[in-house]
Amino acid sequence: MLCPNCGAEIPTGNRFCGSCGNKIDVAPAPAKTMFFGATQQAPGRAKLTVIKGEGTDGVTYLLNANEHLAGRLEGAIMFPDDSLLSPRHCSFIYRDGKLHVVDEGSVNGVFIRIKAPVDLVPGALFLIGEQLLQIEPSPPDLGPQPDAEGTYFYASPKRPSKMKLIQRLRGGEIGMIYRSRNDTISIGREGNDVNFLDDPFISGRHAQITMNVDGQISLTDLGSKNGTFVRITDELTLDHGDHVFLGQQLLRVEIS
Amino acid sequence: MLVAIGLRGVSVITCNRCGKENQDHYKFCLGCGSELAKPVPAPAPAANPQGPSPSQSPASSSPASSIDSRDPALDRTVLPPAPMGAAVAGELRTSSPAVAKARGGIPWGDSPKMPAPIPFQLPPNPLATATPPPRVTSGANGGAMGIPAGATPAPMRVTGGPAPAAAPGGEIPCPTCGKMVQAGFAFCGACGGRIGRQPSSVGAATGPRTMFMAGSASAAPAAIPRGRLILIRPDGSEGGAHPLHEGENIIGRGQAPLFDADAYLSPRHAELSVGPEGVTIRDQQSLNGVFLKISGEEALESGDIFRIGQELLRFEVISPPQPLEDGTEIMGTPNPGFWGRLSVIVGRDVDGSAFPLFGESIVLGRERGDILFPEDGYVSGTHSRIALHDEHVYLSDLGSSNGTFLRLRHERTVPTGAFMLMGQQLFRLEYR
Repeated sequence: MLCPNCGAEIPTGNRFCGSCGNKIDVAPAPAKTMFFGATQQAPGRAKLTVIKGEGTDGVTYLLNANEHLAGRLEGAIMFPDDSLLSPRHCSFIYRDGKLHVVDEGSVNGVFIRIKAPVDLVPGALFLIGEQLLQIEPSPPDLGPQPDAEGTYFYASPKRPSKMKLIQRLRGGEIGMIYRSRNDTISIGREGNDVNFLDDPFISGRHAQITMNVDGQISLTDLGSKNGTFVRITDELTLDHGDHVFLGQQLLRVEIS
Repeated sequence: MLVAIGLRGVSVITCNRCGKENQDHYKFCLGCGSELAKPVPAPAPAANPQGPSPSQSPASSSPASSIDSRDPALDRTVLPPAPMGAAVAGELRTSSPAVAKARGGIPWGDSPKMPAPIPFQLPPNPLATATPPPRVTSGANGGAMGIPAGATPAPMRVTGGPAPAAAPGGEIPCPTCGKMVQAGFAFCGACGGRIGRQPSSVGAATGPRTMFMAGSASAAPAAIPRGRLILIRPDGSEGGAHPLHEGENIIGRGQAPLFDADAYLSPRHAELSVGPEGVTIRDQQSLNGVFLKISGEEALESGDIFRIGQELLRFEVISPPQPLEDGTEIMGTPNPGFWGRLSVIVGRDVDGSAFPLFGESIVLGRERGDILFPEDGYVSGTHSRIALHDEHVYLSDLGSSNGTFLRLRHERTVPTGAFMLMGQQLFRLEYR
């Protein structure tokens, strides 16, 4: 666009004119809206908005049909360049008047931003910043078990631990494993049990894993900026304001 | 000084200077270095009724042991033998050429905190019906180990030389113990030594010669073996020796009395082939493997297992991500440059902590380095290094007291003087 003061060309997104310094009142470009079945968001219906890197809004999908498939190669909600999405990834379905997200057997799963502490099953995956982490309770110590010939297996000295936190790298390999002797593991950028100093999406104190006396493990977000996301099992009911993460796409759910 | 049961039944001693809990086999506090008082010994268990135990030290050094009954999976048992390179206090070892520069005085030359003699406890001997399990603990007597009950623990003196002239009265002094023996006797009545023995073909023995563990006084072998496997005790001294003959020698639990007490040794553990080109070792798919002490740089392959101190570690390469068949890539933390991973093996098919490897050099140690094992007193301050250069990964020892041991992958021809760890016993190989 042209500067109203001096007429110089201003690249999109700039707030000030590069030639004369005039402040430009720029209304953000309206996000494209995809329509399904109607031109407006029907009451009780949901819309999904992609949240882009700087926190600005991207494409909005009005979920006005009954079922909406999302994926890399199929579906009305399609992201052909996102290699972390399965060809058919998940569906957004209305049932009993509520919106559900259903995992269609995707490889990487669907993640939901937690609003309150959630219980984790052994092996549960969760996202903190860019870190994909997994929690496993430590197996009970069965004591020495000789093999069929009566030979005992030699191993490093056992140092008791309650659970272990596993970092899963892109591609599936394991990076680091942290064993905790305590009932809690605090995770963040610094000053915690486990620190990721170089991850800019992690808050100073981001989240905490807790194991209670019965051995049940739970995950709590400590008020982080970007949130803590846990992988859903098969399907989940979505509420207004929920954030869903699939592949590399962060979607905000709004239900009128 | 408090001896208590720590977590999971492990006996600990609480240091009365800094309050740190130490495993009860340590003599010096890992935290502040001050001396820990010896725990009150418990009475020897009734399980050891017959036969001379090589050491009459109490079977347990804490009241807790009767409860946990020698669980080899617990921290304080199954400790590795002491370094061959370590000097027993006050003595410089000059005999073995393979010894790294011996440091007089404290065996753990890099830290004054480390204990001198290392107690050694064997797991319950599954073969303990006729033979009582040798229970050897605490450093009171230097910690003899690996010598099964039933065989005489003391080396027999066999001296060469002709029979001394008979003294008047028809008595001659025994060449072995000096007691006067009636002329005409072939053996001394006091010590059983042979009188008037021909000089041995090996040359006049100049001192005590270790007898091969056949258990009888006249068991000098007719054929001189090409080599021997010498057991190294926790305090660094030599224990028994196993002869190696030309051809194949099978090492395993039950193959010779020297190996019987080690429940970590498989019945057919390793095969040592003695041939014209030297000695080749082949692991016989043993449970715990054969570990060779490394010198210089050894190439590491993905899956290799090595040992420092008590830690059993596995090295693995982290392969670059590959997309799946349908083109989907597996999500995860972006790799910041990890090319490998070191896992701590804590059980059969069970891994504990894992450390990602990045950069060109990773130092492992107890106090200084990139990956630390602060609670393992058998790991030196800086112990080993994993290096990446020329697109290959190498393991080297940084002059540690106990050495770095790499598990034998296939077979290997080893030089004389090589050290190897089989089961829980350390051996030095010697051959001509």
